[in-house]
Amino acid sequence: MNPSLKLFLVIFLSLELTFITKLWVNLIVIIICLIILMHYRFHWRQFCWLVFVPLFPALAIFITIVLFSPGHSLFDGTVLFSRLYVYVCLGTVFTFTTNTLTLARSLEQNCHLPSKYAYGVLAALNLIPKMKQAVTTIYTAGHMRGVNLHWWSPTLYFKAILVAIQWSDQLAQAMESHGFVEGQARTITVKIPITTRDWVYFSSILILIQIIVIALP
Amino acid sequence: MTNINFKNLSFNFDDQSILKNINTEFKEGKIHLLTGISGSGKSTILKLIAGLLPKYGGKIVTGTVDIPTGAQVGIVFQDPLMQFALDTPRHELEFTLENCQVPTQQIPARINRALNFGNVQPLANRLISTLSGGQQQRVALAVTMAMQPDILLLDEPFANVDEENRQFILKQLRQINNDYHTTIIMTDHDLHGYQQLQPLVWHLTNGCLSQLSVKDSAHLLQKGINQKLTTSLPTSDLPAIINFDHLSIKRGNQNLLLPTDLAFIKNKTTLVTGPNGIGKSTLFKAIARLLKYKGTITYERANIQKLSPGKYYRHLGLVFQHANDQFLNVTVGEELALALKTSQNPYFNHQQVQSALKLLGLTGREEQIVYSLSGGQKKKLQILLMLMRGQDILLLDEPFTGLDPGSLKNVLQLIKDAQTKKPQTLLIISHQLNGLDGFIDFHLKMNQQHLKYVGGSYES
Repeated sequence: MNPSLKLFLVIFLSLELTFITKLWVNLIVIIICLIILMHYRFHWRQFCWLVFVPLFPALAIFITIVLFSPGHSLFDGTVLFSRLYVYVCLGTVFTFTTNTLTLARSLEQNCHLPSKYAYGVLAALNLIPKMKQAVTTIYTAGHMRGVNLHWWSPTLYFKAILVAIQWSDQLAQAMESHGFVEGQARTITVKIPITTRDWVYFSSILILIQIIVIALP
Repeated sequence: MTNINFKNLSFNFDDQSILKNINTEFKEGKIHLLTGISGSGKSTILKLIAGLLPKYGGKIVTGTVDIPTGAQVGIVFQDPLMQFALDTPRHELEFTLENCQVPTQQIPARINRALNFGNVQPLANRLISTLSGGQQQRVALAVTMAMQPDILLLDEPFANVDEENRQFILKQLRQINNDYHTTIIMTDHDLHGYQQLQPLVWHLTNGCLSQLSVKDSAHLLQKGINQKLTTSLPTSDLPAIINFDHLSIKRGNQNLLLPTDLAFIKNKTTLVTGPNGIGKSTLFKAIARLLKYKGTITYERANIQKLSPGKYYRHLGLVFQHANDQFLNVTVGEELALALKTSQNPYFNHQQVQSALKLLGLTGREEQIVYSLSGGQKKKLQILLMLMRGQDILLLDEPFTGLDPGSLKNVLQLIKDAQTKKPQTLLIISHQLNGLDGFIDFHLKMNQQHLKYVGGSYES
């Protein structure tokens, strides 16, 4: 599906489910998401992360509602618990099935987002592996200079921030030296169309969810 | 098209004068070569022409820089890693060509031509972060060429590039200068191979720029011709400090090193050379325990995997390819204070540090922020800091990039002086071999997944 359309769909569904307290809808959305992820060969280790990361905030909300809210409603607690997983699953499906470059191109072409934002974010995303490398390098550099850095050492973060500031400046220079001028027209290498099929998918998913919302208790 | 004009230009960085009253004309369609010691302001001139300065720092005090209106300017920076916004060479090329408003149907052909220019076709779809320094530099050059610039600015374009590719690119540059009348302005310290370009040679010193006479230029370029290197083969009776036992290294699915047994000799200097991307830096990272490998590496007969990092790095240091990685503090003074505090080499006391700074031309910069030093100055400070730390083994990954011949001589001198109090084993990766004769004991060549010592007297 067209990435911009997919993004809009995910955001819309998340918003809609925020205002609906129906457990079955949440569960169905989660299951559909998991099926999609399995279809795209989601790794079981990634699956564990998906379960684990939202677990604590979800539990916290669940316990707060069930034990401390005036109604002590188990139902409300479960709805909120599952709702958090709905958000995470929808987000995961989106990131897992979307290439960032295609998304940037789609946002630029289909949504007419200023290319400054589209490519700025993309460039920042491409810095993430470099950032990981940089942190390891800082640790090693510390060891080699006779300074043992720990994860709580201020030096580590200070240095990481310095590196980031430097990068932002260099990145701007890099983009500019490769001909990028803010607000100037650009041509396109790969056209990202919104096809009829995209619209069909989009509207059928939307309608399907509405039916489930209305039909189920 | 007209020439590039500097009219009475003075430029400051943080109240420090970099360029003084420069009145110069770079003739269009010519190849210009800027020379001068590290930190003399060569990169500043290029960035001024590219319009990146004073936009990204510094201040024009007086005068103007005029570049021909409508001219497309392409620049390749000293540090290749930070000039890409996207993940692969192909995507970066697409991004660049889109910026230059090249029509969609012409883009694939332009990309192919650019990849051929830099000799980087096989790398087109690799992640840039997995390319070696030399490969990144060639990709950067290819991307810049895709823009079909009228003015091409190259800041030490060959610092990490191997000899074969250096000759290839020099030939390409001559070609485009011939065919498209492109104005090329480049900086370099290692001048070998430039004769064929017949460049106009400029010298920048104390903020003043002057053009050398034809005779002086010819003399300078002649000097840059390859020197001889004399090394011997290590014999088995010499004590080893690092041993490889069936060491093999992979990058992804690609073998970089097939199982190898090898010894590095204690308290000697070993040079490691080989083409770009063959895995030299990766080999150093394996020795420094920064990546996974198969087989065993031992330090003084102990398996390095069994030593704690804290202990191992007291005995082994790595001078990173990117000087910025080595710094932990903000100012030069703070870095030196830390290095003095943790020094393991008794040679360095207060007085010696001061004289070392003087030797390296870094005196009076204690208050300066390390990141604002020039490329060459950073390299010198980085080497000084690691010498002060004084580990038994020091791995140096391209330590001489950005150093002019004078600075190189001083750095080598400093290394020798530091070793009078504490001998060290040095392993050096370098593409720049000029001036290293007599400094190197052994020479290890890495090629086609093998490591081999070479000996005798030969052209470097």
